[in-house]
Amino acid sequence: MGTFRDRTAVAGVGYTPFSKDSGVSTLTLAVDAILAALDDAGLTVDDVDALATHRVGDSTPPWVVAPALGVPEVSWYLDQFGGGSVSHSVVGQAAMAVAAGVAETVVCYRAINARSEFRMGGTGRGPAPLFDTQYQAPYGYFAPPQQFAMFARAHMNAYGTTHEQLGRVAVGQRASAVRNPRALKRDPITLDDYLASRWIAEPLRLLDCCLETDGACAIVVTSRERARDLAHPPVLISGAAWGGGDSLFSGAGSGVDGTDFTVTEAARLAPRLYAMAGVGPGEVDVAEIYDCFTYSVLVQLEDYGFCAKGEGGPYIESGAILPGGELPVNTHGGFLSEGYVHGINHIAEAVAQLRGTAGDRQVPGAEVALSTAQPGYVLAGTSALILRSDP
Amino acid sequence: MSLAQRPRPEPDRDSAPWWEAVRRHELTVQRCDGCGTLRFPARTVCNRCRSRAYAWVPARGTGRVYSWVVNHQVFMRSMADEVPFPVLLVRLDDGAEQGDDLLMYGNLTGGDVAGLRPGLPVEAVFVDFDEETTLVQWRPAG
Ligand SMILES: [Zn+2]
Repeated sequence: MGTFRDRTAVAGVGYTPFSKDSGVSTLTLAVDAILAALDDAGLTVDDVDALATHRVGDSTPPWVVAPALGVPEVSWYLDQFGGGSVSHSVVGQAAMAVAAGVAETVVCYRAINARSEFRMGGTGRGPAPLFDTQYQAPYGYFAPPQQFAMFARAHMNAYGTTHEQLGRVAVGQRASAVRNPRALKRDPITLDDYLASRWIAEPLRLLDCCLETDGACAIVVTSRERARDLAHPPVLISGAAWGGGDSLFSGAGSGVDGTDFTVTEAARLAPRLYAMAGVGPGEVDVAEIYDCFTYSVLVQLEDYGFCAKGEGGPYIESGAILPGGELPVNTHGGFLSEGYVHGINHIAEAVAQLRGTAGDRQVPGAEVALSTAQPGYVLAGTSALILRSDP
Repeated sequence: MSLAQRPRPEPDRDSAPWWEAVRRHELTVQRCDGCGTLRFPARTVCNRCRSRAYAWVPARGTGRVYSWVVNHQVFMRSMADEVPFPVLLVRLDDGAEQGDDLLMYGNLTGGDVAGLRPGLPVEAVFVDFDEETTLVQWRPAG
């Protein structure tokens, strides 16, 4: 220990006026307080690389505030659920991020209309709906399969990506799940099965969608030294990166630039992640890639640098991501076939691969694994880990 | 059509003027007083020059289809009699030359799903739900 004390500092503070009725949104309050604090510190928005807040469904999160301010790149954020009891942990966690070197300048804020809108205890207006919802839900558009269908169509429009290319993700991952006793779906499927499955939201079919699953998964993190004394060979956390965040309007990774649904926040995160871990995509032996839908895998193959932008479809067709390919992907079957526990089962599978305990689905000699999160299309940016076996 | 049973928009304090204009069958966007950038959806600060000064200005009401879905699954029981229905994401012509990047959602009205293609020119149509709510929908231009 002893690496934390006095290493970080508060450099600025800012306020909005206090009142019983601000007359403005919590987004506006957040923006005003942040700009005032930056001014106090002698900094500008361009100096900011991280945001942190807490809320109980009553305020505006970093992934709306950052693009509204035009923060150039968000390399860390915190959107902590909780009320007054977590208020100081927001600054504490910001200090940890700075001390760890993952962020340089964090703005911490709390913006509430605690009298005129959301009153504690649930009186007054109910929790504010998500920023984007008002412009989408009235058209019958709000479910994740619809959102990812919209992104997939944009990729098809731009690069000629095909249904068959998406289908090969589903078919290939099922082939892996056949070798995974934990998987919910273990019957092999063919491309014809895929193409015959019913539409959910065109261009996505039933077999493009992950399995709604009841379950839990847990991970223990400790120091490398302590891990070396425990039951298994350590799996080292070489890199951990997160950040970004945009509304569905501004598009992934596009707070200021034009909206392009064919590029996700993962494209901005990947260089930070690889630099932290000291490896590149060519050194990744196995990848567990967030697969809420088949398209999520395709676009991340591009954004994590395994193939060029627009080449995700042909890369999949080449067989590269199948068992025995150059980059086995979702060796447990993924959310599409093992089960959907929102990401942590990808990390657990990466650990099994690096321990060499993955049984029939083991990637021989796997030393470096990438595990990724939802790539930043929806809500709070994206996150990813690079894990490796203890050399 | 079960329009009356759809989820109602819940405006926030920044977007209320936009929804009021839609109610009057006017399509508007924000224009930054500081740098002239057009802005949608509604927010009180410009993310290019950070000016808080802006005006609501009329939009042309035309745009191009950027992406779309055709929804088949009944995600909401009140819309069961509408499936399959398309949802479009339209890039407005306003500000497109200078990359202002204004996008709006809406359903396709008065057109055929089979005719959808990227870049298809569309124009805004105002559809009154009831005494309180109006929505912007899109139809092929011309
Ligand atoms: Zn401006």
